[in-house]
Amino acid sequence: MENETEIKRTLDNIPGSGAAYSLIDFIDGWSRKYSIWPIHLVTGCCSPEFMQVSGARFDMERLGILPFASVRQCDCIMVVGVVSRKMADRVKYLYEQMGEPKYVVAVGACPTGKGPFYDSYSVVAIDEYVPVDVYIPGCPPRPEAIIHGMMELQEMIRKGRRLGVRKD
Amino acid sequence: MTEPRIESDLMRISWGPQHPMSGQTRILLDTDGEKVHRIIADLGFTHRGIEKVLENRTILGGIIPVDRMAMVDTANISIGYVTAAEKALGIEVPERAHWIRSLVCEMSRINSHLYAFGLQAEATGYFPAVFIWTTVDREVLLDLFEELTGARWSFNHFLPGGVHKDFPEGFNEKIIEAVHYLRNRFKDYWTAMVENPMFEMRCDDVAILEPKDALRLGATGPTLRGSGISIDMRDEEPYAAYADLDWEIITEDACDVMARTKVRFHEIGQSLNMMEQIAKEIPEGEIKTRFSPFARAPEGEHISRVENGRGEMSTHIWTNGTTNPYRVKILPPSLRNMYVFERLAELSHITVADIPVVINSIDPWYLDADR
Amino acid sequence: MSEKISLSDFITSFNENHGEIVESVEIFEDTRASIKAKKRNVVKAARVLRDEYGFVIPIGGGAIDYPEEKKMEMNYYLNNPDSDFIIVYRVELSRRRPTLPSLTEVWEAMSFHERETHEMFGITFKDHPNLVPLLLPPDWKGGYPLRKDFKGEGVKK
Repeated sequence: MENETEIKRTLDNIPGSGAAYSLIDFIDGWSRKYSIWPIHLVTGCCSPEFMQVSGARFDMERLGILPFASVRQCDCIMVVGVVSRKMADRVKYLYEQMGEPKYVVAVGACPTGKGPFYDSYSVVAIDEYVPVDVYIPGCPPRPEAIIHGMMELQEMIRKGRRLGVRKD
Repeated sequence: MTEPRIESDLMRISWGPQHPMSGQTRILLDTDGEKVHRIIADLGFTHRGIEKVLENRTILGGIIPVDRMAMVDTANISIGYVTAAEKALGIEVPERAHWIRSLVCEMSRINSHLYAFGLQAEATGYFPAVFIWTTVDREVLLDLFEELTGARWSFNHFLPGGVHKDFPEGFNEKIIEAVHYLRNRFKDYWTAMVENPMFEMRCDDVAILEPKDALRLGATGPTLRGSGISIDMRDEEPYAAYADLDWEIITEDACDVMARTKVRFHEIGQSLNMMEQIAKEIPEGEIKTRFSPFARAPEGEHISRVENGRGEMSTHIWTNGTTNPYRVKILPPSLRNMYVFERLAELSHITVADIPVVINSIDPWYLDADR
Repeated sequence: MSEKISLSDFITSFNENHGEIVESVEIFEDTRASIKAKKRNVVKAARVLRDEYGFVIPIGGGAIDYPEEKKMEMNYYLNNPDSDFIIVYRVELSRRRPTLPSLTEVWEAMSFHERETHEMFGITFKDHPNLVPLLLPPDWKGGYPLRKDFKGEGVKK
């Protein structure tokens, strides 16, 4: 936060800096929204639908979304499917290991609000553990719905982020 | 789970739930250089408490959590619960419904075996392309499911008393077209996977499971049939229309990873033959017997056994005269096969590089082991 | 191998030769036999089933809770490659402090099923090699989920 205010103060003293500022914002938002890399983690039964979305017919990679194995180089967690108590602790560790800026997408009815297992002793809704940006409902959601949800996330990234620090 | 103590000269690797090849589980490997001395499986990452949830639903309403138990192979789990519920309620099923159930079950079985091939090819390390081919071939089957039932994966098509929806216009011809397309594609898979010298080098004589060990440790499904023992629930206790169809049990004698892969290949061939037979010979008639959604089952207990893509699944249901079942006990195949996987490190020589290949030849799906 | 044993032959043979070490042997569906064991002879009758009659395949094990009758029942499911029926082998336990000798010395693969029954119902299996929780998280705060009087005690927060 301090870097942002210092840069702002130095830039504001230069005439014409408003245009440079919005150009940096534009390039930053454009490059970040077209390369969202989620962690390769599937938690529950919506995982076959996630595999079909990264398959050949509904190709997710043409939007820049590539599931990647190493946590430090990813910027998104897609929580796909039922989250039990044991798995929710792991999702929280992974969320803390990623670097800023980071986003969370809850795919399916179960991480949103427990889905068809609403009275089970072992299922949790993921927004008790990590803050969620986009909810995609469905059981399982259709591939078109998952792509629509990721495009909503791209719009949020383009509009709402300034120089890399999460504004909340 | 509290982990057992490690011996002083071994290294413990934790192969965790966040890994491209591990699935939703954590497996601990005690290694000494390249050789694996001990395997410990840490299950429970997808435990949803389905047995307790089913006590809080009516018998008809219980088909919804049961369908989501293993989404890759929905129909074969659903038919186990539905058959047990029909025995408890005492309902007869019309003939055409049995044939439609067999068709949907065989399509689910092909879906599940395709998933196993894709992961096997990716585990041997050089064929992510084959994994993407399998997603394209699954789309053919998912389009057929969508026309018949309305949903792609969790379709809730079976209910006690029959099936939910009948064939639309022209569906029989579409099934036969899909069967011809898939038969051509499977010639490509055979050449790419089984007749490939690199695949043979990685899979021949790896993780040998002798027949007497397979019986003693409780193996089931293709894991058991790859060791030469022919036990299949569709033959022991014929349910749906399997007594009227023309098929045979596939076994292989080599007992290694390649034998289990070949068993799955030939089972897909048998499933395609059965789909073609059903499309040509299905009888006309009613598709369901009506009963009240809040029907009360008389007191008693019933067991049903069906053949899943991974092995034998049993459902034991106790009823006591109310609308909800008193207790439902599900015996899944993947829990039995995971015990076999734990003991394989002591029965044969496995290196760390072999572990993804071996676990995908046993093909567990942790969602049905944890329920 | 040999021809298949039928259910009625098995029941007559078992009642003649070993009828006194179990409480009852009965048919409960067309192809299912139910054997109720006496608690002090559980392991002995299990060995007879495995060695003399060839029931070597362990299918699984589970329990059921009857709070009004103040008892629990533990069931083991067994199969034989040469028969066309399965056996449900049952033992009755008291509800206050349920213990049972473990059957892992007869069928090794019952290990996972006994671990799961231990954490879900609270039954203690004596001489089990590794009786730790299988499915519940390691910081579960007590309570046995599949008993009928479970009120959600293990749920944290």
